[in-house]
Amino acid sequence: MKRYILLALALLFLAVYLFPLYWMYLTAFKPSTETFVYPPTFWPGNPQFNFADVFVSKKMSSYLWNSLVIAIGTTAIAAFFGTGCAYALARVRNIGMDIVLFLILMMQVLPSSLMATPIFVIFNQVGLIATPRLAVVLAQAAKVLPLFIVLTRTSFMQIPKELEEAARVDGATRLGAFLRIAVPLARNGILVTSVLIFLQSFGEYVYSRSMISEESLQTATVGLMNFMGPNTTDWNGIMTYSVIYVTPILLIFVLLQRKIVSGLTAGALK
Amino acid sequence: MSALFRTLRDGHGFDATLALLALAYLLVFSAFPLVYNILMSFQEVDMFSLASLVRPFVGLANYKSLFASPDFWPVIWNTVVFVGLCIIFQLGIGFGLALFFQQDFPGGSFLRGLFLAAWIMPALVAGAVWKWIFAGDFGVLNYLLQSAGLIDGKVFWLSNPQISLYSVVIANIWLGIPFNMILLSVGLVGIPKDMYEAAALDGANAWQRFWHMTLPMMRSTIGAVVSLGIIFTLQQFDLFASLTQGGPANASNVAQYWSWQLSFQIYDIASGSAVSCLMLGFVIIVAVIYVRSTRHEHRA
Repeated sequence: MKRYILLALALLFLAVYLFPLYWMYLTAFKPSTETFVYPPTFWPGNPQFNFADVFVSKKMSSYLWNSLVIAIGTTAIAAFFGTGCAYALARVRNIGMDIVLFLILMMQVLPSSLMATPIFVIFNQVGLIATPRLAVVLAQAAKVLPLFIVLTRTSFMQIPKELEEAARVDGATRLGAFLRIAVPLARNGILVTSVLIFLQSFGEYVYSRSMISEESLQTATVGLMNFMGPNTTDWNGIMTYSVIYVTPILLIFVLLQRKIVSGLTAGALK
Repeated sequence: MSALFRTLRDGHGFDATLALLALAYLLVFSAFPLVYNILMSFQEVDMFSLASLVRPFVGLANYKSLFASPDFWPVIWNTVVFVGLCIIFQLGIGFGLALFFQQDFPGGSFLRGLFLAAWIMPALVAGAVWKWIFAGDFGVLNYLLQSAGLIDGKVFWLSNPQISLYSVVIANIWLGIPFNMILLSVGLVGIPKDMYEAAALDGANAWQRFWHMTLPMMRSTIGAVVSLGIIFTLQQFDLFASLTQGGPANASNVAQYWSWQLSFQIYDIASGSAVSCLMLGFVIIVAVIYVRSTRHEHRA
């Protein structure tokens, strides 16, 4: 009996906590007249489906595409550079690797909003601002690469060294053993971390806002900010935009939540 | 030459190469900008000298004008208030929830994981949702507080300079709770269960067990969560951009947003980089303390 009271309490806490998400979905389904009723209604009397309208009129396909390009590019760079580094840091413990790990942890904490100034000036000087999406990818990859390394390292640490040694006895090179034995065994960890990095970069804002000036190259976050403007009144449309933007993110998260949570907890405190 | 090739392919050179590739990327795209930033903070940088490689040095002039600016101390104080309040409440509420979900009931770990849904969504979207909740005339928060009898008139959460900073604090606490809760849960799992049983046999009540056992055992976890909290709270930018943009009249501005505004909206890049240098220095000090304390933990 006590267990079910606890369950009911847990559901209550979750409902209170996730109320803002409910409010977002609810507003998106309300017709705009009902949005500005006071006192507000807590269930749509006359649900509307203006998703297609908002999607087209706010040019969301272009914004979402740019966000997708940036998220894919960032994840690809982080996975390319991060996987090998995480492996080396998991396999070798010496003073050199300790220093590398320390430097990587230091670069994990630098806030994007503070790094935006020097990165913008440097990229402007070398001409990278002319290809703004690439510029954002390079900067964002530097931001998330340390997290990728820290989280993936724990999955490499769980693979017994003996499996690789056996392959080496059979004549495999280090590179061969790394690519054919270690990486496939750490596949789950690498994939979950990549998804996490992908989702984070899909919602990137600071660098996109600072470096992309051409509207056709801007991301969904910048598009949402443009939509909100200083004197916002179209809350109905803004919440519809938000729903279209975050629903895929939330779906991926719910599907993978058990793995994401365990990956985070294994890596975050070490 | 072939010996070098062999160690790269088969020996320790292989591990070193893999590690150094990533480190090289980070040195180019993180460490170099960091150093360049320090350099810029001693130079005259504006729209005209932006693209030139050689810029005039001005010594400490950027920092002097920064300290003399009437905005400087209020913004720093706002930053302290923002970080302090966020950490106290995120930690308190997160700890409470972690203790609650520590108990055994059906679906517990699944429901606990669902809290992270708020953490995974783009902070800018969370900011948009909160801006709508905070809206003065038609916002749901005013309605809920009024029907509960807690406030009389409508509160203008984002446009009242006395309140706007606290509104961003509320939204940021909401965003930070799940991460705090998950990390604290990990710490709680590490406390041996038989200790509690022994204490219960000795007649310690729940409060005594929490105060004399849980808290001391959780000290290192709480230390880690607080340092990570400072680091993450100082990264918060999107909520300021979407909720108040530092306004009204800098009433809710914090250092990390101000630095960006100086560089990208006022185009006073030298001042922006000076603020950024001060804050980066502070973040790095916190991070060094955090990394050192967790490393001692592992050796012990």
